[in-house]
Amino acid sequence: MFRWVQQVLFRCLPLVWALPSLQAAAPPEPAKPEVDTAGYTTVVAPFFKAYCAECHDGPKSKGDFKINASHLPNNFSDVTASGHWREVARVLTRNEMPPKKSKQPPAKEATAVLDWITTQAVKAEQARRSNTVVLRRLNREEYQNTIRDLIGVDFDASGFPQDPLAGGFDNNGSALTMSPLQVELYLSAARQILDRALVEGDRPEPVKWRFTPKVGPADRTRQRLDAKNNPLVNGGNNRQEGNFVAVHRESWDRTIGARDFRVPVAGTYVIRVSAAGTTPDRAAVIRSAEKILGKRRDEQTAKQPLRAEQNQAQFERDLEHFKNNPMYDYGPARIRLTQQLGPQPRTLKEFDATGSISKPEIHEFRARFTTESAGVHFEYAYSIPKVLENFWMQGNDEFARPEMLVEWFEIEGPLYDAWPPTSHTNILFGSTTGATDEHRYATDVLTKFMRRAYRRPVSTEEVAAKVRHFDLARQEGATLVEAIKRPLAAVLISPHFLYLAEPTRANSRTLTPHELANRLSYFIWSSMPDAELLASADSGALATPSERSRQAVRMLANPRSEALVRNFTGQWLGLRDVGNNPPASDLYPQYDRHLETSIVSESESFFREIMSNDIDARSLIKSDFVTVNERLARFYGINAAHEKESAKVRGDHFRKVMVPAGINRGGIVTQASILTTTSNGTRTSPVKRGTWVLKNLLNMDPGLPVANVGDIAPKVPGIDKATVRKRLEIHRSLEQCARCHNKIDPLGFALENFNAAGEWRDREGFGYKGRIERNDPLIDASAEMVDGTKIVGVAGLQNALMGQNELFLSCLAGKLITYAMGREMGLADQPLIIAAVDHMKQNKYTLRSLVEFITMSNEFANR
Amino acid sequence: MKSSMISRRAILRGAGVALGLPLLDAMQPHLNGAPSTFKHWDKSLVAPAPRLICCYIPNGVNIIDWIPKDSGTNYTLSPTLEAIKEYRQDFSVISGLGHPASQGGHSGADTWLTGANLKAKPGFDYTNTMSIDQIVAAVHGPKTRFGSLQLSDMSGTGSAGHSHTLSFDIQGTPIPSENSPRRLFERLFVPETAADRKALLQRYAERRSVLDDVATESKALNSRLGIQDQRKLDEYLSSVRATEKQIERMAAWVDIPKPKIQENGLQLSSKPMDGHDRPMWLDVMMELTYLAFVTDLTRVVTFEWSREAGGYGGGGENHHELSHHGGDAGMLKKLAEIDKFHLSRLGKFMGMLKSTREGTGNLLDQTAIVFGSGMNSGIGGEHSPRNLPLLVAGGRNLGLKHGQHLAHDPAKAPPLSNLMLTVAKAAGATVPSFSDSTGMLKGIA
Repeated sequence: MFRWVQQVLFRCLPLVWALPSLQAAAPPEPAKPEVDTAGYTTVVAPFFKAYCAECHDGPKSKGDFKINASHLPNNFSDVTASGHWREVARVLTRNEMPPKKSKQPPAKEATAVLDWITTQAVKAEQARRSNTVVLRRLNREEYQNTIRDLIGVDFDASGFPQDPLAGGFDNNGSALTMSPLQVELYLSAARQILDRALVEGDRPEPVKWRFTPKVGPADRTRQRLDAKNNPLVNGGNNRQEGNFVAVHRESWDRTIGARDFRVPVAGTYVIRVSAAGTTPDRAAVIRSAEKILGKRRDEQTAKQPLRAEQNQAQFERDLEHFKNNPMYDYGPARIRLTQQLGPQPRTLKEFDATGSISKPEIHEFRARFTTESAGVHFEYAYSIPKVLENFWMQGNDEFARPEMLVEWFEIEGPLYDAWPPTSHTNILFGSTTGATDEHRYATDVLTKFMRRAYRRPVSTEEVAAKVRHFDLARQEGATLVEAIKRPLAAVLISPHFLYLAEPTRANSRTLTPHELANRLSYFIWSSMPDAELLASADSGALATPSERSRQAVRMLANPRSEALVRNFTGQWLGLRDVGNNPPASDLYPQYDRHLETSIVSESESFFREIMSNDIDARSLIKSDFVTVNERLARFYGINAAHEKESAKVRGDHFRKVMVPAGINRGGIVTQASILTTTSNGTRTSPVKRGTWVLKNLLNMDPGLPVANVGDIAPKVPGIDKATVRKRLEIHRSLEQCARCHNKIDPLGFALENFNAAGEWRDREGFGYKGRIERNDPLIDASAEMVDGTKIVGVAGLQNALMGQNELFLSCLAGKLITYAMGREMGLADQPLIIAAVDHMKQNKYTLRSLVEFITMSNEFANR
Repeated sequence: MKSSMISRRAILRGAGVALGLPLLDAMQPHLNGAPSTFKHWDKSLVAPAPRLICCYIPNGVNIIDWIPKDSGTNYTLSPTLEAIKEYRQDFSVISGLGHPASQGGHSGADTWLTGANLKAKPGFDYTNTMSIDQIVAAVHGPKTRFGSLQLSDMSGTGSAGHSHTLSFDIQGTPIPSENSPRRLFERLFVPETAADRKALLQRYAERRSVLDDVATESKALNSRLGIQDQRKLDEYLSSVRATEKQIERMAAWVDIPKPKIQENGLQLSSKPMDGHDRPMWLDVMMELTYLAFVTDLTRVVTFEWSREAGGYGGGGENHHELSHHGGDAGMLKKLAEIDKFHLSRLGKFMGMLKSTREGTGNLLDQTAIVFGSGMNSGIGGEHSPRNLPLLVAGGRNLGLKHGQHLAHDPAKAPPLSNLMLTVAKAAGATVPSFSDSTGMLKGIA
């Protein structure tokens, strides 16, 4: 039977693509570029001999860099060799070599060598066609967004394998692989998505279950919902406060919820909770600490009367902690909502309990439930750093801390926006029951669907090939809805859906308007084009740069452009790595889950703020404002810097705040996200930080440590007591390390005032659990750059970066073009990057102008 | 439930002596994973059959504490190997081997099981070849529900030189890994939801007809593409073909239900990239491997415990950074701690296999285990592809010989591919040669 289908398809499909190119066999392999021996002999070799050979020829070459034919062959098609040539070009451009004290080449000679290298490299890139976009598969994020916009179903694609990166981004066609596992996952995803989108029969009877928890021992109270459901409702051993259960503790009895129920049908449900929170002020904290500390003091003194004086001194010392430490400027109580399906819990959301007992807040969430045994839990999630002075009293009921109060919660659903839902009628439009000519109806349905799914016009033959699946299924007795799912599933695993195809066998060609629409929408939305963009492609208008720019501006204003902010910053700034190797909790107790999510949002909203308000993009280096929520305002000391309540940052949303005097924040390098990912969990890493700045702000990759250097001095005496900085200085005294680390380390040293959790510090702590004691060394954040410039601290670094803002802008432009095109930048792309920066300069340095430039460029419009 | 109450004085007392270890646990925030309570089975469900598992650790090891100072069967266990002294007679430690074509640095995981020269084709960034596990899987695959399993701490294939998988198919294309215990469990043990046998077969048939359709579509598209695009689409087409085969396989297994496994005791929520969960995650992945072996769902597993240049350091330490130790004694000491931790996890797995009967012997004797790294961080942090840390364990019934240190002079050692070839033969795949092998490795089989 399937053989038959195959034969039919084989017969009809070639008609569609009966293009002349079909006759051609495999296209030719890329040609090797000609090696320019003459140029090497006349320009390069004499230059090397005169200025480089003294140190970089022979077995004892300095810095492990040799200019001989085995290390640096005149063969740019070799990946390793061309990397070495790039290094030569770099040190010449930046005047790093020859060293200052050696004989200097005249600018003319150096330029001739640089030109030669660039020409060879560009030739090699063009021959390898590494500057062309390769057939791009949708990555996880793009797949998920496309399904949302195509079908209206929120599908979670996080179970797909991670997408590999190239050039720092996961939308690079040449790196994105495909595998049987993925095809299997696409198949089962297609099925799930269509089952959710298309419905049959009557609208399921909705349920609305309200739970009113009361305090009491765990798992004793049941609440009958219907004949099948008699779930447990838990309030825990907490305090009953009128209608509310008040949760005080973080360690036990911290959860309120219901479990052991099953929703009648799988679908999206609303979870609603009426909640409140209380936040004790500083005075209340001091009162409670005084009481607990006083009780302990009295008990100790009763046992050992001779120690009365010491006990009193200790009491006073500890009380100071509660008076002064900023952690007691509590924010609102925090609640973690978890959903349980089968045995596995999953966090849906963490949120501030903003309501009060007199005016509780009703929070609403949406979640998908299956018919598995389920549970919903509200967990106390306000974390107070556990430190020596307070950890033992944190469980004490009298200890003043934010409290979570829950009055009731409910589950309602399944939710549909209509019946049949829009996801259904968008595909199966009109009335399916009245469709007399089913075959024609299915053809219409698929024509409309495939046009959107393939994001281009489709031929009648393409549609006919899919309709056959429908006809066949109907003959086998499937219902109309079941039968239409088959061709729809085939569309969802088709290469025309999963890949952004720009077919051509020529070396380059102009993109069609529909291909342009795809490039635009996957750049700005990480998703498919909308109706307006498709219309612009249909009319052919998109072929003009001005129309592309107009569309780009429109698309940036659409909330879907949030994908650009999240995916671009997530990868450029490394925000996706936050939490992989978090600061050790015993050394950095203030680093909690709320902080972790906040520092990611900070960097995202900072970029968004600059992009949507046309702020000078150089503010990314240094700004007089930050974008923070209350948690970060507390962490950064911003709230403490303000006396007046009206000036303090309250609430969980991110907003632009001017940096108060004395607070060293503003700009990417001051953000805790970057400062933690470039640390080592237990300590800072100036090497990582310096490398990060070089790579991501200046686009200079210092590369990996030289392999096989056998002669690093093994032991450094007294290393255990040395600061991180001191240890690195010893390291850099070794020449083979110094070559790169002289460039890397100073940039990191300048950031040493930020600890591994991103907190400001003046001294490096060597006390108990990294606490700063009186005689601990002061942070030395001064540094000398390779060119001799001296800088001090983060401000010095920011000024130095501002001085290099041209480099920064090229770096930013290069990264955004890489992301926009889905391919790595080569030397051949330098003119494009320079033009992009020029365009920004003429347009007030806005990110929007950069986006416009990219979409208008020739490179974007051609392949 | 008041166990977390520790008086401050107790802490201060402790602090005076050794800086308060007991503090840590009480102060830990609530996290996902809890220690495993999984119990091994008494016996496997099948007649004796060979198994193969290859476990990769990144960043090399502290090689000074790893290599035993003497060789032969009377060798003295090195300080690190002490961690599995209980199993001394069940493993051989092999030193001096390496892949001659390997690039060194952190690309070791890409070639550990392939021996390939990644730069074999000038002008291409990367070329790889078929890995040894896939050669073994070609023999056993047809007999089990899954041909082989690929596990790693990061899912997918990773990128060139930073592979997330150890397995490469016949074209040298990486086979993606799974890193989620939950998804792995579902794939292995959760039955397909279909009304009945007929409905299930019907679904398979539908899937195959859909795949057939897109294969045709992709061929038509392919003829209009340039060479680089064609290579990408070839990947798609061969994946579609392989999926069709997998579905045929499923259809053939339709009457044999998946083994019923309770998830009790398995820490399926453990996350690999969470510092707290890491040991639990490692355990549960090995437990799932164990379950796949005892139920004969597959006979071949590759498991990259951590991506190269990544890794788990424990207590906020950074494994990768430690591997650039430059000979520093403190860093080497911390590395040895990580190595012992890894070996203890391997030992736990060996223990489970050994306590499980299969036929008249035990499952460990039926299972060839290759454990090690494709990188040697060296005595000075060199990151060399020579003298790799390697262990071969189990598989005694398959002909592997143990309780010895097979020492080779790194300068004259045979290629590592010889060991791979020998292990493959023990695991049931007799092939004339593998990669750059020059023959069988003497002394191990």
